[in-house]
Amino acid sequence: MAQLRLDKLKPIVALGVFLIAWWVVPTFVKSFLKVSFTEFQAPAWIVSSYLDDLEGFWARRSHSKIELIEAGRELAREKAYYQYYAQRNESLEAEVERLESILNLPSRREFRYEVARVVRRDLSAWWQQIIIRKGNDYNIPEGAAVIFSGGVVGRVVEVNAFTSCVELVTSPNFRMAATLEGDGRPVVYQGILQSGFGDPEGTVRDAPQDLVANSQAPLKLVSTQLGGTFPPGLMLGTVAWLEPGSTGIFQAGTVLLDERLLSLNEVAVLIPLNPLEFDTDAP
Amino acid sequence: MLLDPRIIIMFGANVLLLYLTLLVNSALSNWLLYLVLLGPMVVLPAIFLRHRSYVLCTLLTGLWVDAALPTSFGLITLGFLAAGAFIFQIRFRFRAEHNYHPILLAHACNFFAIALITIASGVGNLLVSAFWIQVILTSLISHLTLLVVAPWFFNLQRTLFELCHLDTEPEDFPIL
Repeated sequence: MAQLRLDKLKPIVALGVFLIAWWVVPTFVKSFLKVSFTEFQAPAWIVSSYLDDLEGFWARRSHSKIELIEAGRELAREKAYYQYYAQRNESLEAEVERLESILNLPSRREFRYEVARVVRRDLSAWWQQIIIRKGNDYNIPEGAAVIFSGGVVGRVVEVNAFTSCVELVTSPNFRMAATLEGDGRPVVYQGILQSGFGDPEGTVRDAPQDLVANSQAPLKLVSTQLGGTFPPGLMLGTVAWLEPGSTGIFQAGTVLLDERLLSLNEVAVLIPLNPLEFDTDAP
Repeated sequence: MLLDPRIIIMFGANVLLLYLTLLVNSALSNWLLYLVLLGPMVVLPAIFLRHRSYVLCTLLTGLWVDAALPTSFGLITLGFLAAGAFIFQIRFRFRAEHNYHPILLAHACNFFAIALITIASGVGNLLVSAFWIQVILTSLISHLTLLVVAPWFFNLQRTLFELCHLDTEPEDFPIL
């Protein structure tokens, strides 16, 4: 009888031992365990991502020659269009540099773009993250900005050997300085919990009182160089309504984000060429 | 034998289930739908295995899931061990040779896992209606999917036991 009772207690004892061990074990042991398990899983995700690429390759191979010729023609047109803009961009940049040197403005941060495939998307009520197929092997730094053709995607929060985890702009843990297009004053953007219905949303706070937004002419929320992570002018979303915030001094509103954020396949990580030295660069 | 060889099959099946779930979640992200199918992972080890093997299998599965999901590391392991301890204590009452009891347990464990993740996500979230809409939607879809997935998962494990010429019965028979 006593033996039976002891047997019944075994799982409770195991649970208690685990709790005590988890409390006593140093943090570096837990980190080592987490990294080990994560790295062990990474190959499976990378392989599935490459298989996806292969599937896309074979799907494209099934297109007829006529379709490929038409696509090539379309690409040639796009290329000519972008070549013209590249030239224009070069001349404008030269002009900006000339003006900056005349006005003795501080140099802007330059970035290297590292394009990465999205391996996995974890978008739920509890977390809003994606995993990308580049990590320490491409010198991705923690905290780097991540963008796509529609604007800001988020920020790198965890870097592993071959993968990185990106916190999406929709996440409540994501916050950044921004400006409303045409107005230089900074506002605060923050992600919010998503209801699951409609397009993804965020919030904007600390908008000046003189700004007016309406659904006919929504204001564009763009990134600013304040904070140093994102280059200025990247699209965050649109603000269709502003109302007095909780303080009464500033306005707050909802930001409608790009719906493509929920189905990203490829993103670009912005790696600063001259990383901020917080000891010396901080004012 | 010091450890039951069936823990390899059970752990492998759990890894497969998690991998497939996350693949489906990745594909469903466009509609902001998410599946949590953690319940079945803890049921058969707690019913079938002796204590030492059950603890090892559950611990490994928990750490594996913790590393894969963006939860705080150790949360799911703790949840699995707690749910497993409960099932282990009363496992004599369950008929393990059919899927009926394991499926019910899988639903209960899954609900427990969702509740655990929800509570761990922060008290501030609990006051937001959008969060609850999403959690309820996730729970509904997950449990509906579990109606199909749980029997398949348990049958897969049993088939693998047979293929590997391992014992297809629990260590302790239920009291009839």
